[in-house]
Amino acid sequence: MTVVPERTTAGRGTTPVPPSAERLSWRDKLGRWDTKYTPYFIIAPFFVVFGVFGLYPLLFTAWVSLHEWQLIDGDQGFTGLDNYTELLSDKNFWNALGNTVSLFLLSTVPQLFAALGLAALLDRGLRGRAFWRAGVLLPNVISVAAVALVFAQLFGRDFGIVNALLGVVGIDPVDWRAQTWASHLAISSMVMWRWTGYNALIYLAAMQSVPKDMYESAMLDGASRWRVFWSITVPGIRPTILFTVIVSTIGGMQLFVEPQLFDPGGTATGTGGDDRQFQTLVMYLYEKGFRLFDAGYSSAIAWVLFLLILVVAVVNFTVARRIASKG
Amino acid sequence: MSRTPVGRTTAITAMAVTATLVAACSGGGGDAGDGKIKLSIGVFSDFGYTDLIEEYQASHPGIEIEQRTVKMEQHHTQLATQLAGGRGAADIVAVEEGNIAQFRQSKDKFVNLADYGAKDLESQWAAWKWNQGTTDGGNFVLGLGTDMGSLALCYRRDLFEAAGLPTDREEVGKLWPTWDEYLKVADTFTRKTPNVKFVDTAQNVYKAILDQTEEGYFAKADDSFIADSNAKVEQAFALAASLGEKKQTGALAPFSQDWNVALKQASFATTTCPAWALALIKAGAGDEAAGRWDVAAAPGGGGNWGGSFLAVPKQGEHPEEAYELAKWLTAPEQQKRIFKETGNLPSEPAAYQDPEVTATTNEYFNSAPVGRIFGDSAENLKPTYRGTKDSKVTPVFNNALSRVESGKQSTSDAFDQAVQEARDAAK
Repeated sequence: MTVVPERTTAGRGTTPVPPSAERLSWRDKLGRWDTKYTPYFIIAPFFVVFGVFGLYPLLFTAWVSLHEWQLIDGDQGFTGLDNYTELLSDKNFWNALGNTVSLFLLSTVPQLFAALGLAALLDRGLRGRAFWRAGVLLPNVISVAAVALVFAQLFGRDFGIVNALLGVVGIDPVDWRAQTWASHLAISSMVMWRWTGYNALIYLAAMQSVPKDMYESAMLDGASRWRVFWSITVPGIRPTILFTVIVSTIGGMQLFVEPQLFDPGGTATGTGGDDRQFQTLVMYLYEKGFRLFDAGYSSAIAWVLFLLILVVAVVNFTVARRIASKG
Repeated sequence: MSRTPVGRTTAITAMAVTATLVAACSGGGGDAGDGKIKLSIGVFSDFGYTDLIEEYQASHPGIEIEQRTVKMEQHHTQLATQLAGGRGAADIVAVEEGNIAQFRQSKDKFVNLADYGAKDLESQWAAWKWNQGTTDGGNFVLGLGTDMGSLALCYRRDLFEAAGLPTDREEVGKLWPTWDEYLKVADTFTRKTPNVKFVDTAQNVYKAILDQTEEGYFAKADDSFIADSNAKVEQAFALAASLGEKKQTGALAPFSQDWNVALKQASFATTTCPAWALALIKAGAGDEAAGRWDVAAAPGGGGNWGGSFLAVPKQGEHPEEAYELAKWLTAPEQQKRIFKETGNLPSEPAAYQDPEVTATTNEYFNSAPVGRIFGDSAENLKPTYRGTKDSKVTPVFNNALSRVESGKQSTSDAFDQAVQEARDAAK
């Protein structure tokens, strides 16, 4: 874009001395207006769209959460913070929160380590590199509904392959949906299957920007591959690791589709197992709002979830930054 | 660089932003350009309307009809959000019997079909079916009845034979005039063939028993919550749960993927079957099981499970045309045709007592006279009262039965927990 001469004299700490305004033609004015405001216009669509589809629903949800609000019939009266106080003493809410955290830890921690390892392998000179790199992303491209369908069969109680394999080594069949730990393992494996390759590719991209001469000097010093990986590669991609941790956290707190589709009752019950053993927060939100039609309460859950994610993200960020600065 | 392009850029940017906004704010709607009235009809599963719609369009050249089909579990949630949002609902929507009470509560969002003369049609339907579709003491007609479920019990002949039980459907029906006797047959069956489950799920047995009582979770008189005091609920629960405790059920979620696999593997011998379930059993068990399944009368007399209504949301632009179409689709002539094509049982005596219907047999089910079996069951049924919050409470009890089946809880613990949760859900 044209750099307008006026701009160079203006700013830079000193009080700008505008060239006498009356000498500027309307074209000059237009040009100056252009450099000043056009960037805002160009980014405006994002903010307009965000305002309409992000901010407005956010604020409206807050408004709804302060009411008794039936999904179809709407406002049934202002109740202040009643929905929130009820929520805090609601054992189903705490149960869902516990499940969400458990599923998040079970799926995210191993997933990020696996992604790191996978990225390190892909970073080596493999034959048919493009093929392998595209391959790890495949699980992420496949529709989550299809993934859930396949996993539901793998973890079938009576005729599932996982149970058949366990049987080979003499372990009794597991009722994957009935037990808390079993259902969490099964659902986590689904999440890991979908996201490990995706994170691996992000790590891989970051690894390529780690200076090669550092590897060479480490090799000359006789460092093992393992040592090189932990002392050069991982510190070199710390900002990227931080990014994936935050994104995975946000994703993990909002876990919905995988456990929902794992539930044989589906959205018809929406309870995440017969004793809510794998009901996540978003599933509880969905059950309250869209099966029980209690939109007010559902909105309160949404807001608490939003605040939780905010807190976790900030904690995440501070902790991760501290770790990063140590390096 | 010349200044002119800069000015032009500004103008173009401004236009682009405006265009984006305008595009975001304007919506669809309206009729086809050719002056035809466009009607949409929102259904789930297979209502058997495809051919009928073609025919209606041919005889009504001014009308164009679009059929939208989604899965049943999504259908009612979607409808609820469309009603809440004030747009997006089809001109005619199907509402299932288990959900209609919930929508009755929001009748303001629907057209009162009585305004278009629906009351004149009342005599077409079995009285209970008509009543389910109305509210305000019959003054507000919310929906016109489509099919009904009726109730029978399907059983696998080869598995019965292996267990030394009779295989003829009349004799099988005589084995279990009551549910207590059904449990005894289960014991005999399990003793002889311990590796095969007697029934797919306790949940459906429970539903079948409960649907044969006049009141379930809510009182007919004032819609109050009575699940904790109604002995019928506890009895039905205990009966069904006892099958689970004795591991005589497959502990399957009804109509789930696992249920289909179990059908294919012939791992259970009986299942409750409303008329519409025959198609599901056939699809799940596959061609190789043709003639293996048969249909007998259900224990405890008749009953009804399922069936739907056609309602007209107020947000539609053509309520009158929509009513006319709904009226035509639910008329006895059309119900008869749908039965012959899809097996969905008519809810109108003129249709289900028609010799053509009663003479219908189902080849896949060992040529069972399904028209007669389901018709008889419909004649004898005592319709159960569905409370406004029935659909909120039902899953709670199903979960409880599932916990008994998987051995996590005793029957009484599961029931106590369910009553507690149901009370919360009904608040």
